[in-house]
Amino acid sequence: MSATAVLRSEWIKIWSVRSVAGPLVAVLVSALAIALVTFPNIGREQAATEELDPLFWLYYPLNFVQIAAIAFGATAASSEYLNGALRNSLAAVPRRGLFYGAKALVVGALALAVGVVSGFVMFFTANAFLGEYAIGIGEPGALRSCFGAGLYLALIALFSMGLAFLLRSAVAVLSLLVPFILIVSFVVVGFSEGVAAWLPDRAGQQILYQEHTGPLGPWTGIGVTALWAGAALLAGWWAVRRRDV
Amino acid sequence: MTSIDVRNLTKEYRGRQVTRAVDGLTFRVEPGRVTGFLGPNGAGKSTTMRLVLGLDRPTSGTATVGGRPYVTLAEPLRAVGALLDAQAAHPSRTGRNHLRLLAASNGLPERRVAEVLDETGLADAAGRRIRTYSLGMRQRLGIAAALLGDPGVLMLDEPANGLDPEGIVWIRGLLRRLAAEGRTVLVSSHLMNETSAFADHLVVLGRGRLLADVPTRDFIDAHSQDRVRVRTGDPVRLRAVLRAKGWTVGEAPDGDGRWVVEGASAEEIGAATAREGIPVFELAGERASLEQAYLALTAEAAQFTTRTAASPAASPQEV
Repeated sequence: MSATAVLRSEWIKIWSVRSVAGPLVAVLVSALAIALVTFPNIGREQAATEELDPLFWLYYPLNFVQIAAIAFGATAASSEYLNGALRNSLAAVPRRGLFYGAKALVVGALALAVGVVSGFVMFFTANAFLGEYAIGIGEPGALRSCFGAGLYLALIALFSMGLAFLLRSAVAVLSLLVPFILIVSFVVVGFSEGVAAWLPDRAGQQILYQEHTGPLGPWTGIGVTALWAGAALLAGWWAVRRRDV
Repeated sequence: MTSIDVRNLTKEYRGRQVTRAVDGLTFRVEPGRVTGFLGPNGAGKSTTMRLVLGLDRPTSGTATVGGRPYVTLAEPLRAVGALLDAQAAHPSRTGRNHLRLLAASNGLPERRVAEVLDETGLADAAGRRIRTYSLGMRQRLGIAAALLGDPGVLMLDEPANGLDPEGIVWIRGLLRRLAAEGRTVLVSSHLMNETSAFADHLVVLGRGRLLADVPTRDFIDAHSQDRVRVRTGDPVRLRAVLRAKGWTVGEAPDGDGRWVVEGASAEEIGAATAREGIPVFELAGERASLEQAYLALTAEAAQFTTRTAASPAASPQEV
């Protein structure tokens, strides 16, 4: 059984279910839409504030965009648990490592591709409304941040996919990760700056900053998020490997 | 040709107590014939099929297809077509996409999708989402998926479930044709009469154990006894004569003067009464129902026996 055949099958799986393809499209659409709503109104005013990293400010829409990435990873996995669809999948591809690896690769690659495009979309859309606060693509960290946003979104999608295979439910993953990213992460910052820096969202977002004051730089930060994603993928793999379906 | 081999297969589920869904099962499903896989609900038929497909892991024992474990097959859909649960498909996909992604995973050509859609009569519904399908259409889609790789082995769990009478005739013909082409066909059911209509061979399970592994013809001969209904003007002499020949005579359940002789044919009774000059008004041979023989076989092994408990509301209350 060839890996390309299994990859093709996983590709069809994603594009043939609206609840999976939808969130992926929503990554790009929300990146543009939220940038268009935010920056013409409060873009310059916020860019003028001292304590805000000027590069990171361009990626303000990412706060919402990453929820779409979470939903994409979660539904790509949980669609296998709807009505026991996994039984069909594993009867067709009984080598579970091949099945799981192909799904992770397709989910990761799609999230990366759409994420990178979204990164550039956020960067240029925001800059269009910032006037004298605009940042050129040639400035330090600018190009890195565009690709970095895509990398970050791909890792978050994989993190979510791994958890969804473990918990067998997109609802469980969304109700775990969305409050975590929107609330818990901010609360932990209040308690301890040191711990918060190592959380999957905070660490990876370092790649979007111009100045690095915390313990992690842009690449070590995204590396920490990659470790989180790797751990979640391993946990999901452990569940797929040993469970009867 | 390929056969399915199950050897000493055991599957235990650990909960508060250990339950054995499949218990030391050994049988072989041969090519070129339809094998009916029978047993009451919970007898272990579906579990056995999942174990053959490597979806569940056995506690002990082996299950192989053509001598190899299913999980080691390179492109398994080309070797084995399985219908386990017609509901097991993502409801938001169209029938065609469901088949396309299965075909893609095993490197099957796209034209096979159109072919099996035609064969199962789903061509017109292929562009609709599976959630809009009736149970019978889902069943047809599951059969289409099983046929996709043109496999030498077919394993179908209750394929007639939800089909209309026309569909049942169709599936019988399909199963007969697949077996005639030399394929190995295993079809589970909990209905004996239905299965005996198309199966050449029977494997009967009860509580995870093998109860019978016999040709259908032999099962029918062994388990369904002949009996004769006779109406006579002289029951006293009839009884005496038949008893002398070793037959027992009982009054027929409907009790309108007919008598039933177990284990005899109409010819034997006709000859005996003629010799003795006993007047006979009616004489009819019949066979005990196959379903009854099957129920008798599985009764002691039955998982879920029906108990008729007195309803509390009906019992008189003392005040």
